[in-house]
Formats: sequence, structure tokens, C-alpha cells
Amino acid sequence: MTRLRSLLQSSEFVVFLGLLAIAAFFAANSPVFLTRFNLLNILLQSSIQGIVAIGMTFVILTAGIDLSVGSVVALSGVIMALLLHAGVPVWAVLLLNLVFGVLVGVFHAFSITKIGMAPFIVTLATMAMARGLTMVLSDGKTIFNFPASFEYFGAGQIGPISVAVVIFLAYALLAELLLRGTVLGRNIYAVGSNPKAAALSGIYTNRVLYFVYIVSGISCALAGLVLTGRLDAAMPTAAMGYELDAIAAVIIGGASLMGGKGTILGTIIGVLLIGVINNGMNLMNVPPFWQSFLKGAVIFLAVMIDSLKNRQREG
Amino acid sequence: MPLLETRELTKTFPGVLALDRVSLTVNAGEVLGLVGENGAGKSTLIKILGGVYAPTAGEIRLLGRPVRFAAPKEALDAGIAVVYQELSLIPHLSVAENVFINRLPRRGALVDWRRLHRMTRAVLEEIGLEGVDPRTRVGELPIGVRQSVEIARAISYRARVLLLDEPTSSLTEPEIENLFAVIRRLKAQGIGVIYVSHHLEEIFDITDRVHVLRDGRTVAVMPTAETDEHAIVAKMVGRDLSQVYARQTAHPGGVALETRGLSDSFLKDVSVRFRRGEVVGIYGLLGSGRTELLKAIIGARRPVRGEVRLFGRPVRFRHPREAARAGVVYSSEDRKGENLFFGVPVWKNATYQAIQVGRFVRYGVPQVSAERRAAVRYAERLNLKAPSIDADVYYLSGGNQQKVCLAKALLVEPEVILLDEPTRGIDVGAKTEIYQLMAELAAQGKAVVFVSSELPELIGNAHRVYTMARGRVTAELVGDAITEENVLKYCLEVEEAETP
Repeated sequence: MTRLRSLLQSSEFVVFLGLLAIAAFFAANSPVFLTRFNLLNILLQSSIQGIVAIGMTFVILTAGIDLSVGSVVALSGVIMALLLHAGVPVWAVLLLNLVFGVLVGVFHAFSITKIGMAPFIVTLATMAMARGLTMVLSDGKTIFNFPASFEYFGAGQIGPISVAVVIFLAYALLAELLLRGTVLGRNIYAVGSNPKAAALSGIYTNRVLYFVYIVSGISCALAGLVLTGRLDAAMPTAAMGYELDAIAAVIIGGASLMGGKGTILGTIIGVLLIGVINNGMNLMNVPPFWQSFLKGAVIFLAVMIDSLKNRQREG
Repeated sequence: MPLLETRELTKTFPGVLALDRVSLTVNAGEVLGLVGENGAGKSTLIKILGGVYAPTAGEIRLLGRPVRFAAPKEALDAGIAVVYQELSLIPHLSVAENVFINRLPRRGALVDWRRLHRMTRAVLEEIGLEGVDPRTRVGELPIGVRQSVEIARAISYRARVLLLDEPTSSLTEPEIENLFAVIRRLKAQGIGVIYVSHHLEEIFDITDRVHVLRDGRTVAVMPTAETDEHAIVAKMVGRDLSQVYARQTAHPGGVALETRGLSDSFLKDVSVRFRRGEVVGIYGLLGSGRTELLKAIIGARRPVRGEVRLFGRPVRFRHPREAARAGVVYSSEDRKGENLFFGVPVWKNATYQAIQVGRFVRYGVPQVSAERRAAVRYAERLNLKAPSIDADVYYLSGGNQQKVCLAKALLVEPEVILLDEPTRGIDVGAKTEIYQLMAELAAQGKAVVFVSSELPELIGNAHRVYTMARGRVTAELVGDAITEENVLKYCLEVEEAETP
């Protein structure tokens, strides 16, 4: 009974209801929306955003933020494209891409824990630096044409399902298990909820911060792989604004920017909500300028409902 | 008509009834002593009168008229000025600027310095501080004078009621005398003073009446001349002291933990010993280094010089986890800021520290059912009053939160237990249970150390006491030598010796 009640009161459930309501609205207004093709398309579109948002969830759980994700996704794509064109074998490119993601995370965590810089500022700087490097390396031009074995990660199919979707869901499952079921996962929540208490309880808080920023870096590298494969192109302007969609998805999913609160399930629902809105508005031919406005309004509403609910509980 | 009056003033915080229908009066030209143990509601009452908190129920009357304060500024404007324990002066500004901050007299767009200094001199004179130059930077003044400047600022608002919250906590004996002289002057001018203090001698020196609070309620109001220390303490504690405290005969075993010449940026050459089977008390005023000592031992303060020995072997913990692994745990006094995770259920809080040292963990995965069983076991052992182990610790009372802190430390199965103010701000019932627990743990052969600011509990529970002041251990007292006079003497002696 209490379980059922806590499920009904959870942020995830409320957002899920919101997702259903918005989907129902689009289904009633567009004959295409509920088709299998379109639903799979939403899932595919959401998978790249979703991978980035999973990494963002880890960071936000520790009361941090990673503004660099969009630029890092693009930089990862350009680096892989250049390596492939230089004749580096695909397996080595995948490995180097992973190393790149780890290094980005290490750079962020080092700046935050050892130098004492604020996460917002550090990642704002890398956001600009990574985007700049992307332009420099690609000379501002799109790079095409990769081996089929590379494109598989973005464009391949397993039966009716895209490989990208499978990667996204598997990654989400792994992340959820880690956060829910391990000591490390619990320590991530602890550091976000009360860093001083965490350290005095014997948690190596700096190691936890390294871990979450590395996860975010790896998530960007993974998203870069899927995106580049899917488009068969590495564009220096790719993944613009991903950081804001990812943060919005995490917050819509019930996480708190103050840390210590949030789940992967919530983030996924948040990502799908944004995906459904983007897709539905396209189907209904909403002009692009209004799309941006409406998306912002929905984000505002979602977070407002959650805040009001929390205020009630505490007041 | 009383100058200031509260009627049935009540304040609740989530899960806590901090003030329960308190009615209090202060007359013009009177000094009212407000006493009570930590957590009795004194600070809450002061903050309500000062406009920091709004009362949940009840009213405040000033000269017979009901008043309501939405902010500290409104209380000040109405004539109620508060001097809090922590001084709020800005060290790099001058005395005059501090006194008239926000209200500097102007001449056009510029500050009218001449008038400012004249006004300040007048205020300083009012409280007998003619010797202080208004142009002196506050940071250059001794602490005692800074306190008086703070009072000058309060007076400059034409305060009719002055609230002093533990004004002597960082003052030396002569400074206290000066403060009393100032209070007597204000009294003569018809100002009403509420004087909060832990030090009962001061209550007898300066107050006309005493108002005793316990667990948020008024338990006695009496003319100071008609009572004595013993009667006040009995009212504050609410029962005979022999029932409250749990000190048993010591059966000290070998030395469990020892420091030799431990020093860091604050601690100076601290050597202490904690034995198995013994409850050791550490006493010191705020800023004496008691918390720093415990944190330095477990590796939460670095770098340190000197030596720590655990069961005879030199150890150097670089992180609290290493200490916990070796069987040394620390429980912070700051339950909200440094100990518990609010928004998280009781059972997870209870096992957070244990899972860091690998208890209830298999292959990096916490065994939730084992954790929950352990949490239930400790909830019963500590007589925890919570709806269930799934309840958010945020909603528990202070005493029950403290029990969760203790469970959290004990689930590590430590040999040396360092408790920082384990009874701060909790009710007497929970205190008694915690005293008994400390005695039990010692009887089981653990080394138990507790920091305390309350003399009676120190005297009632510790087999041995270290007194600290300014980062040093100033005395080690054993058995019958642990008396209120001795403990205070050793805390103050150093302060006086070091004050130029």
C-alpha cells in the first residue's frame, strides 16, 4: 500500500502522466503520430539526447553541472572522422574516442576538486574550447564518408530496432543498476546531498566527483559515435544546444540541481517528453520559432509542478 | 505595565515543538535572566523577539501594544535590539561606521564624517566607553570592547529592550566586569534587559529575576534574590541529577588511542589518551579546539604533525575512511551540516558509514535486507522514536536524529568512539538514554570520548576530563577533581594568561 502510494507520489510518475497527456494530444491531432514508424523514430531521435542526459544525471546528482556536453559530442565526432580518414582502424578509433571522453572528464574533475573551480565555470570554458577546437580541426567543414562497420553504431538495425536505441537502453539500464544497486551509486547521492557528511562518513568525495565527470565525458563520446554514424557525417556545428536539452530532461525527470535527488528512469521519461514535443510539433507544422517557445513553456511547467509539490511537502 | 511581554508564545519547526506557550515579562529598568539547557528554547525565543522568526502562535506586546515583526529591522525600529553570541561587526570598518552602518549621516552625496563621529561619541559615552575613538578600526579592538561596540550600536537605535545572548562566552573576567557596568548603566536609564547565559554566577551577579525554560516550556520564574544555584539547576534539568547521569565505576583497560604532540594550524601540542572501558570528556569553550582535535585524529583535518597511536601502533589516517576501517569513528555535532543526509530514510543514514568499510556489502553491492535488519536492531536498542526506518530523518526530533547519528557510528563496530556534543539541542529524556549508552559501551570495553559544553553532564558522566583552550589541552582531571570550579578554572586561566 505504502509502496503504491510512494510510486504515485514520485516525480517520475507525475512526469510520466504528463508525457502520456502530451502524447495523447498529438495522437488526437496528427494521424501519423501513433504509427509504429513514427514512434520508433521518436525513440531513435531521443537516443542520442538520452545518452548525453544519462551522463548529465550523474553530474547533477552531485550538485554539479556539465555545460560542455554538446561541444564535446561534436568534437568527439570530428576527432573520429579525422582518425578514420587518416586510415586508423575502426576498433582503434572507438578506443581513442573512449579515451577522449575519459580525458574530458578528468580535466573537469581535476579543475573542480584540485583547483577548486566551480563546475559551471569550468564546463562553460570547455564548452567554448571544445567547440572552437571542433572548428579548427574540421576547418569549419563537414566531414563525410566512413566505413560501414563504423556507421553501424548509428545507422545499423537489429530487427526492427535501431542499434542506437539498443545502445541507449542498455546504457540506461547499466546506469540505473549502478546508481541504485552499488555502494558507488549510493555514494554519488550522498556527495550531492551533503558533501561534508559524506566525507566524514568515509566517502572519498573527490573520487566520486572524478567518476561522475568521467561518466559524462564517456557519455558524450558515446553520443558522438552514434550521432556521427547515423548522419554519416561529422559536422562542426553538430549537437548545438544539447547541454540545455539534457539539463532540462534531467530536471523534468525529478532531479534537483542542488544534488542528491534524481533517477535515470526520471531522466529517460524527461528525454522522451522533450522528444515527443519536438516530434509532435513538427508533425503539426508548428513554425520553428514557436516550437522553441512551446518547448520552453513545457519545461517551465514540468519543473514548476515539481517545485510546488516539494514546497507543499516541506511547508 | 510591563515593558515587554510575551503571551503564550509558541513556535514549531517540522517535527519539533521549540517553544510551548511561553509567557514572559520584562519591566523597565529590570534585568531578566533567561536560563535553560541547550535546546530548551532560549535561542528560539530570542530570535522571535528579534524578528528573525515569526511565532507559530501567541503574541508579543511592547508597552501593552501587540506588535508583529516581519524582519529584524522591524524589531529594531520598535525598540528591541539583540546582541547575538556571534558578533556581527565588520572588522575593517571603523567603530563609527559599524555603529551607524546603513544610517550614515550625509551631507549631499557624501558621508558627514564630523557629525558621524560626534553622534558615535555620544552613544559611546552613554555606555561608559569614552575612551574609545570612533575612528578606530573594529578589528584592532579587543574582543571585550567589540562586544560593547555592538551594544552601542543596539542602543543607538534608541532600544527600550536589549537582548544579550550569551554575551560573555568569549570575554575575560575584567571584560565581564565592564560589561556588567554597562548593563547597570542601561538599567538606570530604564532600559529592560534580557540576559541569556549558561553561567549561573553571572545570573546571580546581574539579574533581578530568573526565567527558566525546559524543553520549550516555562518551568519557573523567580526573583534572583530568593533562589540559589541548586534550585535553578534542578528546574533546568527537571529531575535529580543522580538519576540523569550514568557514570559508573571505571574499569579502564589498556590505552586504545593516544596522541603525542598533535599539532596543526590550530592545535598546539595536544597529547591525550583514551583507554578501553572509560568515558572521557573533553570540555572547552567554542573555538577551544575540541572539534579540531577529534577531526585531526580521524584524518578529516590535514596536515597534522605529531603522532597518533592506536593500540600502541603508530597510525596516520589520511581520510575518515581509514580511521573507520581501523575502528575509530567520529560523530559530528552538526547533525544537519556534517552528519546526516536529510531527505534520506533512517535506515540508509544508519548504514552509510558501515557500507564504506565493507559491512553489509558483497561485491560492491549493499545487501539491503541485511542493512534494514541492522537498522531495526539499532532503532530498538536506542529506543528510536520514528514512524518507521523508512522515515526521512529530516522529520525526526533532534533527539531522535542524534540517535540515528549514534547508530550510524556504532554500525561500523568501532573500538574508539569520538562523539562531538552528542547531546546538543536534544531533550532531557534522550540525553539520559545517550548517557546510559556511553556507559554501556565503555562497560563493553570500548573507548568512549565525548565533547560537551555542559558542565553538569560532563561531571556526571566522565571518568576523566580534558579541558581545552585555544588549541591546547590545559588540564586533565580525574574522578573527584572533576568539579565545576576546576573545569572552568582551567578553561579560563589560559585565556587570561594569554590576553595581553
